[in-house]
Amino acid sequence: MAGFRPDSTKFPARANLDGQGIVVLRTKTGFRGVQRSCPHLQGTMMNAELIANDTMVRCPLHVFTFKLSDGKGVNCPGFRLKVYEIKEENGMFFGRSVN
Amino acid sequence: MEPATSSLVLKGAHVMDPEQGIDRVADVHLADGKVQFVGSRELTPNTKVVDVSGHYLSAGWTDIHVHAYGTLGFANPDTVGVYQGVTTFVDAGGPGIGVLDQFMELLGNLETTLYAGAFIRPMGLLGLNFIEGDVRTLGEVPITRWLDFAKQHRDLLRYIKCNAIGDYGPGTLKLTKGLAEILSLPLYMHIGEFQLQNPKHLLAPEAFRIAEAGDMITHLYHGNLGQVIDESGKVLPIVREAERRGVIFDLGFGGYNFSWDVAEKAFAQGLIPHTISSDLQQFNVVRPVKSLANVMSAMIRLGMTVSQVIERVTRNPAKALSLTDRAGSLKPGLPADITVFRVDTGDYEIADCYTKVRKAEKQIVPVLTFKNGKRFEVDLALAQDESNWFLQIAEDHVPSRASSLSERQRSFLSALAANLSSINWELSSAERLDIEKALELQDIFHQVRGKQGLSLKEALQSVYASFLDQNFTMQIGLLLLRLERPFAIQRLRDVSGQRPMAA
Repeated sequence: MAGFRPDSTKFPARANLDGQGIVVLRTKTGFRGVQRSCPHLQGTMMNAELIANDTMVRCPLHVFTFKLSDGKGVNCPGFRLKVYEIKEENGMFFGRSVN
Repeated sequence: MEPATSSLVLKGAHVMDPEQGIDRVADVHLADGKVQFVGSRELTPNTKVVDVSGHYLSAGWTDIHVHAYGTLGFANPDTVGVYQGVTTFVDAGGPGIGVLDQFMELLGNLETTLYAGAFIRPMGLLGLNFIEGDVRTLGEVPITRWLDFAKQHRDLLRYIKCNAIGDYGPGTLKLTKGLAEILSLPLYMHIGEFQLQNPKHLLAPEAFRIAEAGDMITHLYHGNLGQVIDESGKVLPIVREAERRGVIFDLGFGGYNFSWDVAEKAFAQGLIPHTISSDLQQFNVVRPVKSLANVMSAMIRLGMTVSQVIERVTRNPAKALSLTDRAGSLKPGLPADITVFRVDTGDYEIADCYTKVRKAEKQIVPVLTFKNGKRFEVDLALAQDESNWFLQIAEDHVPSRASSLSERQRSFLSALAANLSSINWELSSAERLDIEKALELQDIFHQVRGKQGLSLKEALQSVYASFLDQNFTMQIGLLLLRLERPFAIQRLRDVSGQRPMAA
């Protein structure tokens, strides 16, 4: 992920992964990427809230809530958020789609 | 919460009862759960007095549009009822004819009086983004069943609801109007397209054409497609014509349905809702709706007087719902349903459902509620508690309340798992819901409980307790459909195999 420096970046942070805009969240166990806008009504995930010990993310517009593990909607069946695994190797950051 | 006392005087509040023309400081005398009268009288030594001076007092508020039941409902609907100053509310579309029996099982648990604004579709409102409004043929409206239900439970039904959205044409609206006429109930229509980006045929104008005197249109000030104003901000003639015919306009604030821009333009031209309702549900109670009181404060900010606001949550909804024999006023003999509230002055902000926020100087704050004379301390935070609105399937654990299920309930769950194991289902889309499949799953639920001789309440409790930590209630077919099939069947088996707790 070009230009993404977690040591100097405030979170949530915008990043690009293979030309796809994502939002990188810092959780208690590391980093996680999600799509930029909520699949419900396209609220920005830059204002999303981490909940349930950082295992879920919640859109502030209508509290639609998604699991960070697989993106599944918790209180919104049928909805799924794109989620990305983010890893650091030798000072470089790599992302990979989970779902 | 305190039990109703036989005789009580609420002393010194500014009493507002538009129905009786009362707008002054006065005492309100209650006895045996009913209003005795408003005024002064020498008190007997046994009479309990509550000093409410410095406050306002009105008949208990009626919220004509909430979601207490179903996929949008609350774990404890009283949190948006008596604990927010609301003594009567109507579930706007949660149940349809196919689930009204399930809906009724909720009633016995509530302090707030709940009525059904039944939905045209048998399963009731689907909620979320599932496409609504697809009842298009007479065959989808089981009129005999509706008539039979209405004959037995006429008092429960207060209106028939449909949504004037989607791209199916006005058929649904006309079918619902026909059903409402057959049942002698008002028609209640949602306006504001929020599901489709570019429908070919907006249905909001059709709603205003179809509605007759006494019918209701909700979300008057929404900012979606199909507004009450045109592009230049002028109120549409068709809206004025409906108003002249006696159509009732309801606010229905909601999570998508109130725009400051639309409200200010329409209000300035004298287009004012007859009833103020919240549309409270899981996805708007944290923000922006919060409470009926917050919505009432928004109406003060818009330009209504306190008296006008109170009229729209007491007298007007009671009339619209044909409840004047039991709500909406402090007339002698009516139930002692009362709301005590303050009107605070300060610096407040009130958000609409979009991005607009208005500064406000007044805020309505309910303090005490009396329901049939029984006292409740208002606690606006209760509704906001995550456990009250965050409906989460207990995927990684069996809810503790499942351990309280009886042997008969476990036996029912075992039989239900066996019967469901031959059925396939999948929730594949956020937009399209297989309603036929939901009805099929529900039919199996009923067949199994019939064979097991289990009451509906016991059967519902056993399924809810298998999957939900909190006491949410919803259409059983929709609950099963939203579960992943292997998980659902395994969980039913797991719970049915648990040993019951010893007495």
